[in-house]
Amino acid sequence: MIWLNIISDFKLADKAIFIFSLILVITSYFYFWQTTPASYAIIKRPQHDALHISLDNVKKYDLQGAIGTSRVEVEHGKIRFVSSPCQNKLCIQHGWQHHHGSLTACLPNRISIQLASVNKTIVYDAINF
Amino acid sequence: MSQHGLQIITNHQDRLIAGFAALAISIHLLESSVPSPVPGIKPGLANLVTLYVLIQHGWRLAVNVSLLRVLAGSLLLGSFLSPTFVLSLAGAIASLAIIGLAWLLPQKPIGPVGLAILAALAHMSAQIVTAYFLFIPHAALFTLLPILLTAALISGTLGGILVSRIITQTNVLIKHE
Repeated sequence: MIWLNIISDFKLADKAIFIFSLILVITSYFYFWQTTPASYAIIKRPQHDALHISLDNVKKYDLQGAIGTSRVEVEHGKIRFVSSPCQNKLCIQHGWQHHHGSLTACLPNRISIQLASVNKTIVYDAINF
Repeated sequence: MSQHGLQIITNHQDRLIAGFAALAISIHLLESSVPSPVPGIKPGLANLVTLYVLIQHGWRLAVNVSLLRVLAGSLLLGSFLSPTFVLSLAGAIASLAIIGLAWLLPQKPIGPVGLAILAALAHMSAQIVTAYFLFIPHAALFTLLPILLTAALISGTLGGILVSRIITQTNVLIKHE
């Protein structure tokens, strides 16, 4: 049963390191899994410049896309697709988006909405070689 | 030096490095062929060789073995100078640095388990930070960090226990010789 006696492999400093690391790992969940609320949205459509809209008010926008008009709704810090001329309505089912960095899109209509926060910068998603 | 062909003079340390590096490379290759549920989570068995060499033969040898493992492993897998290689190298350097510092402490209070945990966490953190600055500069990358650190803590602890037992067993063998 020597394999079950795990504690004997830990020196005093090892136990201290283990407990300290465990606290560190648990803290990392709280630290890295908190979200920043978004303050504005960047909307991209075909043949238009990117449109920045504030999320502070309650408003609806009609956006001209590749195959028709999509309607998006803004309400106190969140945004969602209300209607879109696409077939599967995935953009509508994706629902409300609240957080900095979130992204929702209607691919058939080629409209994307990226959420951002004024005091945070958005850079590239990924770089590959 | 003979006149017919090149002869490389090796000493005991060189042969130790070569042997342990070969072992680490073999484990590295075997490990890379095992599928992982989440990219970035590996048992890290190849690094246990580094840890064993550190404890039994010192830090300089461990650095040699670890860096040779990263270089030769990447050449054999075809990932030399690719992002995978850069991440692997960053992880190796970070863990070598932290276990090197921990090994400098007077009277060496930290055992294999503590060293393995430190190495695993340093390895993982360095890889994520490198990935963030070089390849994926998006804050969403850090949402992975808690999961990866949890995996590193588990694999580091288990690996450390393994190394601790291997060292006990080999020291018994060495004594009997």
